[in-house]
Amino acid sequence: MSHQPVAVVGIGQTHHKKRRADVSIAGLVREAAQRALEDADMDWGDIDAVVLGKAPDLFEGVMKPEMYLADALGANGKPMFRVHTAGSVGGSTGIVGSHLVSSGRHKRVLSVAWEKQSEGNAQFALGGGKSGSIGAGGAFAPFIRAYIRRSGAPEDIGWKVAVKDRLNGAKNPYAHLKLADITIEKVKESPMMWDPLHFLESCPSSDGACAVVFTDEAGGKAAAKPPAWVLATAMKSEPSTFAGRDAVNPKAAHACSDEIYKQIGVTNPREQIDCAELYVPFSWYEPMWLEAHDIAAPGEGWKMTDSGATALDGDFPVNMSGGVLSSNPIGASGLLRFSEAALQVRGLAGEHQVPGAKLAIAQAYGANAQFYAMWAVGSSLDPLGS
Amino acid sequence: MPRTENDIAIVSYAQSPLLRRSENTETEMMLSTVQGAIKAAGLGKGDIGFTVSGSCDYLSGRGFSFVANVDAYGAYPPINESHVEMDGSFAMYEAFVRLLQGDIDTAVAAGVGKTSNSDPATLYTIEMDPYYLTPLGADVASLSALQYRALLDSGKVTERDVAEVVARNRRAAKDNLNAQVSGDFDVDELLAAPYVRNPLRRHDLPPVTDGCAAVVLARGQKAYELCERPVWITGIDHRIEPHLPTMRQDLTSSVSTRLAAEGAGVASGPVEVAEIHAPFSFQELIVREALGLGDDTEINPSGGALAANPVMVTGLLRVIEAAKQIAENGRSRTLAHTTSGPCLQQNLVCILEGDQ
Amino acid sequence: MTDTSIADPSNDMEPFNLQFPFTRTLGNTLSTFFSAVAQGQLIGVKVGGRVIAPPLEYDPETGADAGSEWVKVGPRGTVSAWTYVPEPTHLHPVQGPFAFAFVTLDGADTPMIHVVEAPEDQLRSGLRVEARFKEGDEVNGRIDDFVFVPATDPSPSEGAGEPYQAPAEPEIQTMDAYCDLTYVDNAAPVTRVWTQALLEGKLVGRTCPQCGRTFVGAVSLCCVDAIELDESTQSEMPQTGVVTNFTVITPVPYPGQKETEPFVRCSVMLDGTDAVLGQQTIVGIPASEVRVGMHVALEWEPEGQRDVSEIGNGGHGSTGGAVVGWKPTGEPDEPAENYVDRMM
Repeated sequence: MSHQPVAVVGIGQTHHKKRRADVSIAGLVREAAQRALEDADMDWGDIDAVVLGKAPDLFEGVMKPEMYLADALGANGKPMFRVHTAGSVGGSTGIVGSHLVSSGRHKRVLSVAWEKQSEGNAQFALGGGKSGSIGAGGAFAPFIRAYIRRSGAPEDIGWKVAVKDRLNGAKNPYAHLKLADITIEKVKESPMMWDPLHFLESCPSSDGACAVVFTDEAGGKAAAKPPAWVLATAMKSEPSTFAGRDAVNPKAAHACSDEIYKQIGVTNPREQIDCAELYVPFSWYEPMWLEAHDIAAPGEGWKMTDSGATALDGDFPVNMSGGVLSSNPIGASGLLRFSEAALQVRGLAGEHQVPGAKLAIAQAYGANAQFYAMWAVGSSLDPLGS
Repeated sequence: MPRTENDIAIVSYAQSPLLRRSENTETEMMLSTVQGAIKAAGLGKGDIGFTVSGSCDYLSGRGFSFVANVDAYGAYPPINESHVEMDGSFAMYEAFVRLLQGDIDTAVAAGVGKTSNSDPATLYTIEMDPYYLTPLGADVASLSALQYRALLDSGKVTERDVAEVVARNRRAAKDNLNAQVSGDFDVDELLAAPYVRNPLRRHDLPPVTDGCAAVVLARGQKAYELCERPVWITGIDHRIEPHLPTMRQDLTSSVSTRLAAEGAGVASGPVEVAEIHAPFSFQELIVREALGLGDDTEINPSGGALAANPVMVTGLLRVIEAAKQIAENGRSRTLAHTTSGPCLQQNLVCILEGDQ
Repeated sequence: MTDTSIADPSNDMEPFNLQFPFTRTLGNTLSTFFSAVAQGQLIGVKVGGRVIAPPLEYDPETGADAGSEWVKVGPRGTVSAWTYVPEPTHLHPVQGPFAFAFVTLDGADTPMIHVVEAPEDQLRSGLRVEARFKEGDEVNGRIDDFVFVPATDPSPSEGAGEPYQAPAEPEIQTMDAYCDLTYVDNAAPVTRVWTQALLEGKLVGRTCPQCGRTFVGAVSLCCVDAIELDESTQSEMPQTGVVTNFTVITPVPYPGQKETEPFVRCSVMLDGTDAVLGQQTIVGIPASEVRVGMHVALEWEPEGQRDVSEIGNGGHGSTGGAVVGWKPTGEPDEPAENYVDRMM
């Protein structure tokens, strides 16, 4: 095996907003990348290769925008790579970047993921440029209805997730939505968008970017600030539609977390993992992912939400950053999850820090709940002390 | 040199027919090609450790167009899978890096493009700088023509040299069953053709092609288990340059190709055959110079991109053609090149070797 | 797909126009440049010892921030490379023959790519050109607010190279970008079979000989087993089923959106099969009364009025304008828990 340890030594993100009217596309992407370099105490010349990820080019109407963005990312003369794996793309962008280091190809790699949704209209792009787009909410609402039926969860679980993630987001200086005064009542009373999903149970549409600097083991050990060590990575996919496919609790989701648990020797995720950033664009996905990733038993995920276990001060905090429900620059959303997990084990998550977090996981998913990217990061190369 | 478990080889490949207009969808082309490559390695879909493809949403005008292509993998039980919005040769690069993680020993990489649905004269305007070039309708042929003009003005080549490139590629393509454009052409007649974008003539432009290609990679000993003569990827690198053609260090040479060639170790041995991805004829001469190839290297025995140009596939086809030279034609060291972006902005170089 | 061949043009679908009005925000560099353009002034930025015009946000050589040391350039400049566009497309800014050229503006060290309006026989490297700006209502503050024409006076531009004082708040803050592309797909063989069946009032499906799953719609392969499903695997499907799940969508307005009221899209499992059709329309019942477990039957448009033109390749069971929708039969509902998981 040639797999070598990889450290996250720099993380940057934009202030996510409905519309970042103050920047061009390049300016948006650059802002995150520049912050990541500053965090890593590096300059553009220190980077060996750049990996760029985003969701469909139709969102901004620029085809293969990495061509134009090469300049803004200081990529002249370097390798530049473009990943596109639907909603999981931000996660894949991080994984591909980390692999360039773990394979020994490069010493210092910059992964950047972004979306500038305000340039266009996601519903238009999701609808194939035609009328009657059902959007992501319309696509996922039936899955959520099936989960509710299957688990017997009370209807307020989704509202509770919506409140919890927004209260976390209010502590995150970069979050798009900062709804410190959100209440269960407000979520419940907000308009029904895609039955059973209310407006406040749905993610916003954001402009934003996220960037991560990876180094090899020597770079991680020499870093000025504490690094996060990439302990496990996995990407899993399955087809979107076939008879008997379980879209609520997809096999690919299980397979993805199984693989990272196996890589780090986790046998009891809820006990051994300190916190998780999961891709929850619609509130009910929190309990669904807790089950799909074996953090809770089948049908029990909602009880973790209900009991407050997933709150910032619970025993298994989920979406400390405020999650996708607080910021959703689609292409960047996966890398934001991955970055938050890394910030937690670095101890640099500020007001949304889980005290003493040593091992964190992050997940992103995409398309018809069929593409998964996950990683596990630790404060050391052996956080479980095995 | 003995191979190690960190050495990675192409053990099989497949390609669809390359057509002006296919009856089939991208997914259908993927099914027969990807599964064909897997079968050619004596494997089944469940034996593959990692699957990755390259395609482009804007070729079909639909976001997430690649999602349907997962149907061609039989990805159930779920598989390790990724996708790049790049040529299939870059998908192969991701597979190469993924194999180096050491936990798997086989991978399949594919490229697919149903190019005929769109109009290249308008489509690529949106690949350019969105503020300074797209609003001018700056099309890829016009930008290439400006590069060609700069090349002519540099005195490095003449229009006759370029017409000879066209004639040679089309002549070579006669032996390529998959070629879409082939035949014997007289250089003087080519030079007499009218300009479509002075100094580009119609025959300097690539054809519009639908197609798909796939390769199966294996690591270390596994490669010997799967084929008699593995085609080892002994060097692979890719580099990019500033986006605006006017901001390149020298538009008449390809700095990024030169850097990628250095990274891939091109100069550490003789290159018997080079498959160059030059969608516009004159670019072959720029790339050839940047690769540092001598006169003893045979260029594009397949006919290159001028014979067939399925976008997102053409680069991987170069890899396959260069691999064929080793696997089927007794050569021992060949080169494949891919380009992307306006005026050779991004270039990948790969060195392939057979065992002695 | 084994019989892959050059498609018959008669199988081409209706052209699809991908049109969308994007609005780009600009940031300081682009705002400053486009605001200057709106005033008839061209500028560059001094970075790394050279003047780049039009100004870039970042030094493409090093990635360094290009800063805001603005310099006046032009309006005259010199052509260093050119090509001629005899037949412009609808995306080009001028609709007669014109040239694209590299133009190095006086005071700048790097050329810009732009339009030169001149007869082909006048074009040459070294040609002196000058910017001709749009006027009055035509001024937008965009890169296509000007074109170059042969300079009436070839002498150096006055003031070129002098510093440019940018306004604190540049006037031009956004740029409209209209995407206007046309696609022509062609109907794959299985798509033609599916749409022909719809025109005849039939649903057809293909059953995988390996896993036994049935796929209804323009589907020619089994996505589980990765094998082709040819016509020998095809059979006619029942036209009654049970609603397994549904979505009520509150339409979001966007360019091209025709829906204004909440609408229902449901999944229907065909009776006696394992096949589920997604994204189906329900008729004859208010959106609020759609239920999981409801029996429905397909209601066709009258023969001769079935429109399959919107049905593209792929897709599981898209019925387009061939059907009115699925209508409740009035039979007692099936237990929801037996169906709710079967969204596909």
